[in-house]
Amino acid sequence: MDYLEFLKEGISQFYTYTGFANVTVGHLIMIAVGLIFIALAIIKDYEPLLLVPIGFGIIMGNIPFTDGLQIGVYESGSVLNYLYFGVLQGIYPPLIFLGIGAMTDFSALISNPKLILIGAAAQFGIFAAYMLALVFGFSPMEAGAIGIIGGADGPTAIFLASKLAPSMLGAIAISAYSYMALVPVIQPPVMRILTNKKERVIKMRPPRVVSHREKVLFPILCILLTAFIVPSGLALLGMLFFGNLLKESSVTRRLANTASGPLIDIVTILIGLTVGASTQATTFLTVDSILVFGLGALSFIFATFGGVVFVKFLNLFLKEGNKINPLIGNAGVSAVPDSARVSHIEGLKYDKTNYLLMHAMGPNVAGVIGSAVAAGILLSFLY
Amino acid sequence: MNKLKTIFILSILFLSVNILFAQKQKDLRINELFLNNVDNLADEYGRHVPWVEIFNSSYNNVNISECYLTNDTTGLAAGVPTSRWYRIPKGDPKTVIPQRSFLIFYLDNMPTYGVFHTNFNPMDSNSTNYVALISSNGRTLIDFFPYKSSLRTATHSYGYQFDFGNKNLDGEIENELSELKYFTPGSQNYPEPMATKSEEISKKDKYGLGLTVISMVVVFAALFLIFVILKLFARMSNKPNPRLKLHSAQKKAKKEEVKNEEKQVSPLVDNGEELAAISMALHYHLNAAHDQESEVITIETPSAHYSPWSQKHFTVKGSPKRR
Repeated sequence: MDYLEFLKEGISQFYTYTGFANVTVGHLIMIAVGLIFIALAIIKDYEPLLLVPIGFGIIMGNIPFTDGLQIGVYESGSVLNYLYFGVLQGIYPPLIFLGIGAMTDFSALISNPKLILIGAAAQFGIFAAYMLALVFGFSPMEAGAIGIIGGADGPTAIFLASKLAPSMLGAIAISAYSYMALVPVIQPPVMRILTNKKERVIKMRPPRVVSHREKVLFPILCILLTAFIVPSGLALLGMLFFGNLLKESSVTRRLANTASGPLIDIVTILIGLTVGASTQATTFLTVDSILVFGLGALSFIFATFGGVVFVKFLNLFLKEGNKINPLIGNAGVSAVPDSARVSHIEGLKYDKTNYLLMHAMGPNVAGVIGSAVAAGILLSFLY
Repeated sequence: MNKLKTIFILSILFLSVNILFAQKQKDLRINELFLNNVDNLADEYGRHVPWVEIFNSSYNNVNISECYLTNDTTGLAAGVPTSRWYRIPKGDPKTVIPQRSFLIFYLDNMPTYGVFHTNFNPMDSNSTNYVALISSNGRTLIDFFPYKSSLRTATHSYGYQFDFGNKNLDGEIENELSELKYFTPGSQNYPEPMATKSEEISKKDKYGLGLTVISMVVVFAALFLIFVILKLFARMSNKPNPRLKLHSAQKKAKKEEVKNEEKQVSPLVDNGEELAAISMALHYHLNAAHDQESEVITIETPSAHYSPWSQKHFTVKGSPKRR
């Protein structure tokens, strides 16, 4: 009899440890969100390299468990907590920037330098969202972290959020990556509203050939210029340009291949999985998170607005033949190469012989630099 | 020439290392001093003796070892230490002061008690009314900390209210010595929490417009600088090789040549139709120059069966060679 009692007690005790005993509606909602992310990645092919790890991370992070067993991402000593350390301390984002630098070809930018200014104008989205977040009652540090979603740069958003508002990191990272995946949906309507038919068919001059010397000197000069102006952005900018130098120097091919291949893949897996796992329902499903998502969407709209309107403004001063197609203004956000692809597809809709991809890559890579600079500025003002 | 270059580079390196080193030690400040220590901070032997707090105001680690603490600067001009100069021994890891951190020295004239016990005591009758920190070369005065003789009986410490170089409540940089409200050996002199950067910004820039304007200007400035550099790049790469530069007379002649060519060509090709006709004629002409081919490719087996056994050079012996 006693033995039966023991068995009954054991089973009921075991049941309290299972996910079924601890599950809440919040957990189920978040698991559904994770599944949607995976479905979007696999079926719709939206940023699969990011959405699959994040989606799976969301599922992992929302498996209900009893506290104190060193399982969850926020429990010190757990494996997920160790992996999350790289996010919290801002280690992963610069490593991703190293890979991005080693993959990026800045030729489009070097051949037509005025396109770099579009990358600056599109950062307006960051600061517009910052102002809006202040209006909604967020503290300046939280507002800065929310604003950076408008930079359309996942690693930068994680880097800044880990410094300024670690408690909101999950919401900010998920929001940034979701909207990056949704660039083809968010940007075109804004572009169409802001441009007329005549502007959309502007044909731009083909880019000139860029010499090897220019390509090698570019990252060196850029790091000197940008880091001297915004030293707080050194981790991101330094790694970006270092990666690019590895690629362009042509004598460090193995290092460039590692940075742009295995290294960035490993870090992407770790960052995606842990950021996903950080969205535990208990900390994620709050009104603030919903506001973050809303402000994130607005920041993307403002960023697109800033880029397109700036091109129109610039065209007022440019001669016929040198004018820029305002459809590449949206590419000033640093969602590489998605936003450039959006420019290209939109351009083809109005003129089937107008190929804007190479032109749009200029502001696109300038956006990467611009958002890193903007993050550095926010860090130096608010941290 | 090469020797001169090497010497120049080495001297520049030496100077920069020196400057860097001096700059680092220059960041040290005597931040707080308390003489009449009756029941305040006790040393490792439980004694209450006068103490001085050194503050590393920089954002780097600074090694204070080999520097001098003294209340007698007479040997400074000649760089000759006197008996009251306390040379801080090297080797103790605590002598490397982390960024924005503090280190306490006991001014008890008991140097045998440890690294942080000096060989002078400001409470001695013949003592001067200052404490000085001198660099390791014995010639540079890093900091001079004067005080009134009344401090010997005062019940408060003396120093910088908000730590040297920090902003006070009015937002001004702190650089004046005064009586301190709190005893804070080894920590910041103003222990009450100060407004954080974020709090200050939310007070001054409630709607974030100021930050937005400044940030956008900085982002534009940074990227504009890159734009300028890239423009220069473009100019340099489009610049013709100076060896291939033409004289003005040659340039003129070339221009005229081009003009003449244009004149000759322009009446010949007026429109696209003519061009198409010429191209068609050329096409026929060039095609006619070739032979007519059957344009049939076949693989035919040779009529005679090939076998190495039937080959003459296999069957017939080669003629003998004379050696």
